[in-house]
Amino acid sequence: MKEYQQQYLKNLEQVTALSATSEDLILDAAAFLRVRQEKHDRIGALVEENTALLRKNLFPLLDDIITASDDDIQSLDEFAAALVPGNRDVMLAYHIHNALIVYARHHALRDMLIRELYNTAMDLFYLDSLINTTDPYRYSWKMLMLFGEAASYIKVYDEIEDPEIRGYIHRSMGNLALGHNAHTQKDGEKKLEVIRRSLQILNDPVYQQKTPSLPWDTYIYKSHQERTTALNYLRRGLASASAVREVMESAEYVWEHNLEASRRRGQPVSTRWHATYYTAQYHCGVLTLRQFLTRLEELYMGRDPSDYSDEGVYCNFFLPAIYANYVQQEDHYRTAKKEVIGHMYRMLLRYVQGVTPDQMTFFFVRNLMNTFISFIEYPDGIQQRDYLLQLVVCRTPEAFIYLQMTACVARILVTRIIADRPELLAGVCGCSDADDVRAAREELAQLAYDCGMFHNIGQLNFMRMTSMAGRHWFKEEQEVFQYHVKIGAKILKRCESTRRFASAAEGHHFYYDTLGGYPQDYDPREHDDQVMVDIVGIAAYFVRLLDNTIDYTKKPLTMEEALEKVKEKSGTRFSPQLVSIFCETENELRDYLKDGKLKACELALKYLKNEEAEN
Amino acid sequence: MKKQEQFASVWGSLDLPVIVLAHEGESFRPVYENGAADALRGGDGCLADSLPDEIRNRLLTGSTCPTGEELPLLCHLQGRAYSLVPFMWGDFRVCMLHEVTAYYNENQRILNEAIMANKAKTSFLSEMSHDIRTPMGAIIGMTDIALMQGDIPARVKECLNKIKVASGHMMSLLNEVLDMSRIESGRILLQEEDVDLADLLHEVLTVIRPQADAGGLHFSLKLEQMAEERLRGDSVRLRQIFINLLSNAVKFTPEGGGIDMVLSVTPTGEPNRVMMNLRVRDNGIGMSQEFLQRIFTAFEREEKSTTSKIQGTGLGMAITKNLVELMGGTITVESRLHEGSCFTVEIPFTASPDLEERHRQALAGKRLLLFDDNPEQTQLICSMLERLGIAADVAADAESAVELLNDMSFSDGEYFALLTVEKVKGVEMLLFLPQVRQRMGADFPILLLSENDWSQMEYVYTRAGVDAFIPLPLFRTRLSAGLYAFTDEAKRAVQEAGDGQRWNFRGKRILLAEDNEINREIAIELLGMANLQIETVENGREAVDRFAETSPDYYDMILMDIQMPVMNGLEATRAIRALDCADAQDIPIVAMTANAFVEDVRNSLDAGMNAHIAKPLDMNQVYSTLDFFLGRGGR
Repeated sequence: MKEYQQQYLKNLEQVTALSATSEDLILDAAAFLRVRQEKHDRIGALVEENTALLRKNLFPLLDDIITASDDDIQSLDEFAAALVPGNRDVMLAYHIHNALIVYARHHALRDMLIRELYNTAMDLFYLDSLINTTDPYRYSWKMLMLFGEAASYIKVYDEIEDPEIRGYIHRSMGNLALGHNAHTQKDGEKKLEVIRRSLQILNDPVYQQKTPSLPWDTYIYKSHQERTTALNYLRRGLASASAVREVMESAEYVWEHNLEASRRRGQPVSTRWHATYYTAQYHCGVLTLRQFLTRLEELYMGRDPSDYSDEGVYCNFFLPAIYANYVQQEDHYRTAKKEVIGHMYRMLLRYVQGVTPDQMTFFFVRNLMNTFISFIEYPDGIQQRDYLLQLVVCRTPEAFIYLQMTACVARILVTRIIADRPELLAGVCGCSDADDVRAAREELAQLAYDCGMFHNIGQLNFMRMTSMAGRHWFKEEQEVFQYHVKIGAKILKRCESTRRFASAAEGHHFYYDTLGGYPQDYDPREHDDQVMVDIVGIAAYFVRLLDNTIDYTKKPLTMEEALEKVKEKSGTRFSPQLVSIFCETENELRDYLKDGKLKACELALKYLKNEEAEN
Repeated sequence: MKKQEQFASVWGSLDLPVIVLAHEGESFRPVYENGAADALRGGDGCLADSLPDEIRNRLLTGSTCPTGEELPLLCHLQGRAYSLVPFMWGDFRVCMLHEVTAYYNENQRILNEAIMANKAKTSFLSEMSHDIRTPMGAIIGMTDIALMQGDIPARVKECLNKIKVASGHMMSLLNEVLDMSRIESGRILLQEEDVDLADLLHEVLTVIRPQADAGGLHFSLKLEQMAEERLRGDSVRLRQIFINLLSNAVKFTPEGGGIDMVLSVTPTGEPNRVMMNLRVRDNGIGMSQEFLQRIFTAFEREEKSTTSKIQGTGLGMAITKNLVELMGGTITVESRLHEGSCFTVEIPFTASPDLEERHRQALAGKRLLLFDDNPEQTQLICSMLERLGIAADVAADAESAVELLNDMSFSDGEYFALLTVEKVKGVEMLLFLPQVRQRMGADFPILLLSENDWSQMEYVYTRAGVDAFIPLPLFRTRLSAGLYAFTDEAKRAVQEAGDGQRWNFRGKRILLAEDNEINREIAIELLGMANLQIETVENGREAVDRFAETSPDYYDMILMDIQMPVMNGLEATRAIRALDCADAQDIPIVAMTANAFVEDVRNSLDAGMNAHIAKPLDMNQVYSTLDFFLGRGGR
């Protein structure tokens, strides 16, 4: 690897280390903020340094990749390979791998091309995992294109001598299934078809004899493993009988394989594969829903509530989510299993409260977020609003400080609007005129606060990107990050307790003049509470200017400077009326900002220490 | 009383010359002439014999005129004009001669004046046509040259294209006035040639779409059954019908309105005969029932506040109706005030010989990937492809398209091409197509189907990997030609034609007779691009002299302007053909003139020319004509 590449990786490691919250810091809010700012400054400097390293050394090389020397190509290959593990910088790896494809094509280096096609497709797979709950198709066709091209070299298999390259061909053929999310019947059928084709080749003794050194069993096992992920497809009730049988066959294969492995290791089969096997049995009619739920309950009861390993995380996080998902299949069970669900959620809360700050990684947070996709809210049970707050927001002080400040600023603005221009809030909370608004003063202030608190919940899905990017973003990352508004809105819309905040989550980046911002399909006319969305939009923008927790290279502005910036956006991004009123709240804002951040931090730390806190 | 005395007593004293004729079998013979008749005759014989043969025969046979109408019989005797008035008198036929010299002379003078005036009008219109066409030719030609230059900024190219379209339209306005005068005088003639409806429609839409866009109108075009796409007919006049109807709809539809055009060609049941049906419907201001009766009358325009600002000659619909009827078709109109109008035209045509067979043979058995998420359009395209013997796999989203590419790459087959529309829901085509290009390599044809102006998209889409463009709505002929261009056969043909340059006349020398300096410059520039050697003269006399003084076969061809000072092109051609030179009879002489009407073509050919190229010069027409005479089909 070149020196700049080593330096880049070293800087990345530093950024990761600086992004972690150490336990000793959570005792004192002032110290936390001071150290936090120091870390931000340091990360900002590292980001600039890394960006400069890429600009100076990497991009000129990628621009003229065709004439790169063998040495350059070798170093790029190694550099890209080092960027992928642990999601260090997959987007950069993707750019490098793409360039290597161009090089391989130009110089007709077939083996290299196959390898780089595979690598690039895998980069996309990692990127896809960030957003596939919201947009399952953004990268799928590209993955299919890259894996497909690599796999198509099966036609000249005998001409390829390197067993490693032959391995890429088989893996690409098998990984074509990754491009199919099985969200639709057609996609599900296609997924099974490509796995069938892959297995057919993998089980073909001719191929095995041609390249005996390849790990055929692993390939076959992985293909069966992938086929069991088509349970998603079965879960939707879209699969045909033959499809169900195929999935079941794979589930059996994986189960047997795991049993054998566990026997060899002298350890039990992991809960994940137990659950997968039971799920397959349920979908294939071997188990009834009742039996299946009971099996899941048994698995859950057998978990270790203090285990924070992968197995523990699966049992404590994912099992309740899977269980909730199936409980919702029949109204009867939704009612009958209310207590079980309640218990699982309480245990989950306790489990998360037991997580130390340094364990609260971006991966952990994302897994937590994923549990909300199947959250069941009962009117007299645990509310998603509280759960989200205590389980996710409060566990990530960075996010909490920003959200709480936004909530407070939004409340200040709403309070002023109620006093001076109450008619602007007509339409929100069922208010039809100024009198209604005045009468609903408390409710409106609370709604503004809550909308501010939850508007950016989707961003928690992108913590890796926001706090550990280690360089300036690529355009592609900016686009991917924009999905946070959709992810947040999707979660909030699911439950009664959070539904009212969904508009703020979805529309807070959309421009008042409708000519800018995102998401593009957002239509303000469809939201009765659009004025609240606009209020949160201003508050969020303002707070971000004072304390940017996404781009550490941007220095915090003073309140006056931030207000000027808000004014500049009047009539474009923000409503001129709201900007005008917002600027009139300068005194309130100044009062609040004297210790607003500190108080937000204190609150965050209280939550983190599992102390009772009040908003 | 004897008959002679009887005649003398009745007619003898009259000052008017009188001839009496008696039956003799089936005819008559003169039996008496009075003194005035004798005086007029002034010699022996009878006056009847002195009459011109035609008059005498009619008198003697008793017939009036071949059609049986009682037309006056006029003759000149002794330098004077007489009107003969025959009538029956008992069994005899009497003919009185009235002198009408003064009346005749006056009428003749008036007639001569009228003829002169009409000639002057025709000449004026023709002169005007030429005078306007010549500078227009310069504008269009210079625009063509500018467009052929490399590295034109996109905005300049866009402006040049618009100049080209607008100047063409200006020509058509001029022609409208000329047309009506020709129609009125019954001198309009239809020229029969192959009409490619795809080309015709493309030209029409090039004019109409910008008009509709400028007017804020929604324009939709639907093709129904197209049993044939190449017809025998007058393409210029057919285009005129289309444009008149559509321009009319654009003019009389307010902003925000819509125009629907439906075109079909259906079999008539007779072999090789088809019926072209064109319907143009708008939701504009419509017409009153009273005006509907006069819509096809020349210079008629409905006067109301909504039309007062709309420019027009009031000739369009009258010309359209005359042209449609000249073609043997019918035009009908339905309209309601404030609701809109619907014009329906039906014209019978003979189908042109099918040129697709060669394409079909080269394309048969191929398979392509069609990327389109519009089921109705997909079905239409697939049926066209099927007729060409091409199988198609259809993808309606990016994943499916890639899967099909993958599946094909795992099989023994291969796709011949990707045929893609410009927009597929959920797909960023400018990201997708480069990936396909990378995957499939540089030789894999990617063809884009779009109803938008290719010149506006070319820069972006060619860089995204697109090789060629096929306009929508789709015609089978366009589709087959577009795909055929990527067959090995077509590629070989292009290669054989000469290093990829389509037109190359290296080693050929032509004489260009053209008086207008700018036109000479344009012609030299355009012809020079095809590697022709060009020598120029400025009038017909010089052309004759230059040809006469050069050795035989020195020139391969003469391009001759028609209107030139000293000696015009027609006279020059006659003079060259009359020369006693070895190749005077053989040298191809091609007229190059703005006088682009049928009779002008006929005059050129009558003068001894071999072909006729209309100005402004259409370079494809010029090159293909040159190719015919200088290349494969030539000397």
